[in-house]
Amino acid sequence: MSSALAIESEVAALIVEALHLEMRPEEIDPDAPLFGAGLGLDSIDALEIALAISRRYGFQLRSDDERNGQIFASLRNLSAHIDKNRQH
Amino acid sequence: MTEPPPLRLRIGSLPLTNRPEADVLFRRRGEAITVGRFLADVAALAARLPARSHALNLCADRYNALLAFAAALSRDQVVLLSSDRSDRRLAEIAAAYPDLTVMADAETEAVGGEARWEPPPGAIRVAPLAVPGRGGPNPAIPSDRVAVIGFTSGSTGRPAAHPKSWAALVAAAVAAGERFALRDGTDMVATVPPQHMYGFETTIMLPLHVPTTSHAGPCFYPVEVAEALQAAAAPRVLVTTPLQLRALLGAAQAMPSVAAVISATAPLDPALAAAVEAAWNTRVLEIYGATEMGSIASRRTVEGESWTLYRSVALRPAEGVPDGTEAVVAGMAAPVPLADAVALEGEGRFRLLGRRTDIVKLGGKRASLASLNRILLGIPGVADGVFAVPDDLDRNPAARLAVFAVAPGLAAETILAALRREIEPVFLPRSVTLVPCLPRDAVGKLPRAALDGLRRQVVGLA
Repeated sequence: MSSALAIESEVAALIVEALHLEMRPEEIDPDAPLFGAGLGLDSIDALEIALAISRRYGFQLRSDDERNGQIFASLRNLSAHIDKNRQH
Repeated sequence: MTEPPPLRLRIGSLPLTNRPEADVLFRRRGEAITVGRFLADVAALAARLPARSHALNLCADRYNALLAFAAALSRDQVVLLSSDRSDRRLAEIAAAYPDLTVMADAETEAVGGEARWEPPPGAIRVAPLAVPGRGGPNPAIPSDRVAVIGFTSGSTGRPAAHPKSWAALVAAAVAAGERFALRDGTDMVATVPPQHMYGFETTIMLPLHVPTTSHAGPCFYPVEVAEALQAAAAPRVLVTTPLQLRALLGAAQAMPSVAAVISATAPLDPALAAAVEAAWNTRVLEIYGATEMGSIASRRTVEGESWTLYRSVALRPAEGVPDGTEAVVAGMAAPVPLADAVALEGEGRFRLLGRRTDIVKLGGKRASLASLNRILLGIPGVADGVFAVPDDLDRNPAARLAVFAVAPGLAAETILAALRREIEPVFLPRSVTLVPCLPRDAVGKLPRAALDGLRRQVVGLA
């Protein structure tokens, strides 16, 4: 498994666990939007995910990340953002 | 604490702001914006507005939201507050208010994880003047004029409109200023959108009539809340929600000194309130209110269950409604029924006895379970179905609804997709469980325990 795929499945598992989703991590389409029409998450979930990321990867999400990088546009984008910013 | 007698409103008109031009009204991107500069911005924006009856304020930048509101108000336009910026909702509003100006930030921002948003074509783009102005007219607004319309609930398909007079908005701001002793140029940092009635009252209306300073944002993630508070001057007040407080504590975010935290939109768990008071050495205060009536009461959560009404408000039993209570609010023509059952304790105090059973509240929004169930049953192929409310809904800020449906031939995803077209995201079920039949009792009701049992059985939990 390449490292991009490894982090994607790790982040998918983190999302499923943080939000108590009743699905398997591998069921999250890596290219579908996490919010709205895709996985259907909203701003309550964004806070939960931010909290889980800060605990696991040691950095904080910011609104201007979204403006620049559209990190919630897909699992793939979010995973890439985490990979770039992780402290541990 | 003895409070002054019930508030009386001056008949006639009230100025847009009662603050001197040199006062700092807002902080935005490191700049202090004075009342004088604000009035110049208002005059410039008002001159750009087309003559319309209504203005839809979609600005996410809190200062722009204030500008849009003040400019439309000064042009005798009624301001519509919608935090739902979905295409569907914007189309509904445009259909219901055909003579409409749409106002949006000149530079749009993503909000709370949403995808980047582009305002509709033709929107008036709002920004402060590039070269700060020195002052402008302070318009007198007729007290009885409808200044804003807030909307409730995405569950019925068509949100209900709740108009507020200028007098009611000013009265609520003055009452809140007194209640929270906001006298000394307090800096207010808020995580709630300016279009939510709670955020509108505490960060848009307050600085106009109470000596406070609001912050423009963004202020959503824990680190941003801490940074906004750092940039603020003491005394600082954080205006937020139980959900955000839980995230802030969970992230163990280092915070500057905070004089008080104000929470609303959902009941705050007393244990969480106590933890926040201990961690930040502050006082945690709660506001009780609703879009229809605005804020009406407050309490310090750790001191007990009782709420104390603002002096602009009285409560009385609602005639002909079992368990019903209504609020008589200064500046509002008709009494407003409460969504909760309450016990009146006299002397302006009351206790909440829980929501009336049909109402669910999530993410600061309210929906009727009967309406949600009606939408579920209206999906072609759904023979029977019900929205289930988790036990911890009133304690767990992140709790969500679930759906049980009898729908032979339909996939759970199909039902979810159909619901997504009809209801607001926060009320979408976190799970859709397909079952052969619902455990209805002899009179067709669904006992809670039977549903729980069914759920464990279907998802294979112990």
